[in-house]
Amino acid sequence: MDGLRKILREPVLAATIGVIAVSLFLFVIYPLFKVFQMSVVEDGRFTLHVYGDLLSKAFERRPLYNSLLLGTLVALAGTAVGYLFAFAIARADVPWKRFFRVLATFPIISPPFVLSLAAILLLGRKGFITRMLFQGQWDPHIYGLRGLILVETIAFFPTAFLIMLGVLQAIDPALEESSLNLGATRWQVFRTVTLPLSIPGLASSLLVLFVESLADFGNPIILSGNFHVLSVQAYLHITGMVDFSGGAALAVILLLPTLVAFLLQKYWVSRKSYVTVTGKPSPGRLSVDPFTRRLLTVLCLGVSGLILLFYGTVVFGSFVTLWGADYTLTVKHYVSVFLIGGRYLRDTVILASLATPITGILGMIIAFLVVRKQFVGKGLMDLTSMLTFAVPGTVVGIGYILAFNERPLLLTGTAAIIVLLFIFRNVPVGIRAGVAALQQIDPAIEEAATNLGAGSGRTFATITLPLITPAFFSGLAYSFVRCMTAISAVIFVVSGRWNLITIAILGLVENADLSQAAAFSLVLIAIVLLALGLIQVGVGRVATSQMGYEAAG
Amino acid sequence: MRHTLTVLAIVAAAAWAIPVQGAQVLHMYSALDTAETQLYIPQFEKDSGIKVEWVRLSSGEVLARLRAEAKNPQVSIWFGGPSQDHIAGKKAGISTPYKPALDWTLPENGRDPDWYWVGYYFGAIGFGSNADFLKKAGVPAPVSWDDLLKPALKGQIAIAFPYTSGTSYTVLATLVQMMGEDKAFEYWKKLHTNVHHYDKSGSAPVTQAGLGEVGLAISFSHDLIAKGSAKGYPITMTFPKEGTGYEIGGISLIKGGPEPELAKKFVDWALSVRAQNLMQKWFRIPLNPKAEVAKGAVRADQVKLINFDAVKAGEDRDRLIKRWRSEIGQ
Repeated sequence: MDGLRKILREPVLAATIGVIAVSLFLFVIYPLFKVFQMSVVEDGRFTLHVYGDLLSKAFERRPLYNSLLLGTLVALAGTAVGYLFAFAIARADVPWKRFFRVLATFPIISPPFVLSLAAILLLGRKGFITRMLFQGQWDPHIYGLRGLILVETIAFFPTAFLIMLGVLQAIDPALEESSLNLGATRWQVFRTVTLPLSIPGLASSLLVLFVESLADFGNPIILSGNFHVLSVQAYLHITGMVDFSGGAALAVILLLPTLVAFLLQKYWVSRKSYVTVTGKPSPGRLSVDPFTRRLLTVLCLGVSGLILLFYGTVVFGSFVTLWGADYTLTVKHYVSVFLIGGRYLRDTVILASLATPITGILGMIIAFLVVRKQFVGKGLMDLTSMLTFAVPGTVVGIGYILAFNERPLLLTGTAAIIVLLFIFRNVPVGIRAGVAALQQIDPAIEEAATNLGAGSGRTFATITLPLITPAFFSGLAYSFVRCMTAISAVIFVVSGRWNLITIAILGLVENADLSQAAAFSLVLIAIVLLALGLIQVGVGRVATSQMGYEAAG
Repeated sequence: MRHTLTVLAIVAAAAWAIPVQGAQVLHMYSALDTAETQLYIPQFEKDSGIKVEWVRLSSGEVLARLRAEAKNPQVSIWFGGPSQDHIAGKKAGISTPYKPALDWTLPENGRDPDWYWVGYYFGAIGFGSNADFLKKAGVPAPVSWDDLLKPALKGQIAIAFPYTSGTSYTVLATLVQMMGEDKAFEYWKKLHTNVHHYDKSGSAPVTQAGLGEVGLAISFSHDLIAKGSAKGYPITMTFPKEGTGYEIGGISLIKGGPEPELAKKFVDWALSVRAQNLMQKWFRIPLNPKAEVAKGAVRADQVKLINFDAVKAGEDRDRLIKRWRSEIGQ
């Protein structure tokens, strides 16, 4: 009760909490509720027959098996590759660390389906490798499970890499050193010390990749052939068959394994982290024997080569006149990017630029509330705001068209629905960054401001915000990238007034207009890189001005 | 904090306000290929001074979206897609009649008897084979529906989903009207073993065949030419000797659409000689007798057509698609 009274004394704080709670309810919970409702209510009565219908037919069940199989295999393969890179960089002291680091994170900023495009250019029946290396004698069969494992592993291993890098860097090398001093071989050290300490990280990475693969839409819609997966099937049910209840039910089926994985990750795995940071200075980097180092270098080079080959092919493909028929080089695809694609580029950049700052500020405010303030329903706010991150885009997109197609919440066809979707899909990133930054800051600094008479708002604006600015900018950067490359959710809410470049590219790939799609993708990547550079400059300036301030103080 | 909230409020308000209601904007779903839609729209905008905001969707998707939006129509006009899909739309109650003033007569199968949709072009279903593939596989280009079942074509055919694509539904309805329903599904089950994959868009298989990703595409003749041979791909076009189905591409006005008057202007324009001449670039056959026909385009008298009943096809659509999904399992 004390908490409630405290909040009521601060109307701005109370209002902020109220506004955020209502928005989270409207734009996160309510759409999900609509999806669920659509799948179980018919003519005003509760029924499970939609599920019964779906699960009784083998061809409707298959996408579920397929999605789970694909998710599991991609989680294993992606985590293995991610661990390889993280171990090589954090523990094995391989050469060219910066190069490996850049390559291992590059797929994050590229639109998801670019890798599928590259896979077709390279390994399709008329692909470069298929024709040059195998003279067309061997068909790699990339349309289906094989191709999807390949492209999703490349697309999602960066996440595993970042998770594992964090975990490995948190393990105190002194532990490994002492076991080495006690007579263990390097392999024994790895097996009995390093690996067990990485297990929570590995589990977390497996779960996150499983979720990412399940939620992936851009790659399977291009590359799945006759290997149908849930996200695409739910989309086809709704956009192709007017089967809203079937599509919603498929979305719920897609949501279940995702939620289980998300909750496991949040409440079980993350509690098991073995933090070994002791505060004592660590001795120099522990390394591996030369042979292992060389082996790791070669493996990392191999994967890096593959990534370069994939993106390089897209670059080459964007200059080819007519892939498959005429390989003369041309810039005409870039000319038409700006002639016919101008409006897609403009709309996408406008919408992403509108959504990004709101996402960033909202993320920081929620992070501040969750870490620093006590109020009723705080845990719920935390969980809800993280939820959109775990829920597959397809489910969110279906929820938005169901929830916002009728008065009084009539938003279909407006820019608002796209911007809102961007904000609430990406706000968890900002929150995470904010929470991490806030936990590093001693609350005493803020208390001092409060004691000197500043209210919550003033304290936040003058003390907290400047201190968490770097986290704020990294949240901004990530959310901008996600807006520019989003597809799975927004594909349901685009209209003639607002067109997104990812959706245009998807249409081009589907029509096998590969070179044009490649040119569009590269322009998109260039815009993202440019924006990241600008944000980087912003952070740099803030950091220097802060340093100046500190020096002066 | 108060400033932050103010900024948030302003930005949010801006986001709502941005879709400015310009004086004359027509909203449209186009079932024609993106590149083809771009042949017509800029010309219409220039001729009429009306701005068009359009989304390209396959015609089955247009129908699905219009049904979903029936309570709150987002567009005023549905441009393109086979008449059977427009007939299904009439049955679903999403369209509204409009009789354009013409100085020529639309053929009987070229419009709805009550003007719920009007025809715009003609096109026949054909096969487009990749010539290099044919040579390598040592098979002649298919000239009958049965030729598509040859083992040499295993995993080589691309076609669209009948529920998303008007093209593919035309194929299904053609087979049903030619062979009878049960035989037609028997046939498609055999065809399915030769199908590499299904696309969302009816014309997408053409480029895939041109590229060589698949050996053969089943699509409309104009798409086979415009996206195949005319672009430089080695596409050989053939037609089944038993007869083939065709489409009359349609235009429907949407019931309760936001700009009915602008939509009517578009229909008038689309049937004018000026607009109908534009389709030469896409090798469609115009319905306006005064319009010119592109060289190489396939006219109704050049192929053997079945006596195609588009009304029946339109009315059976939901049922046939349901059966197709459960029998083919896609």
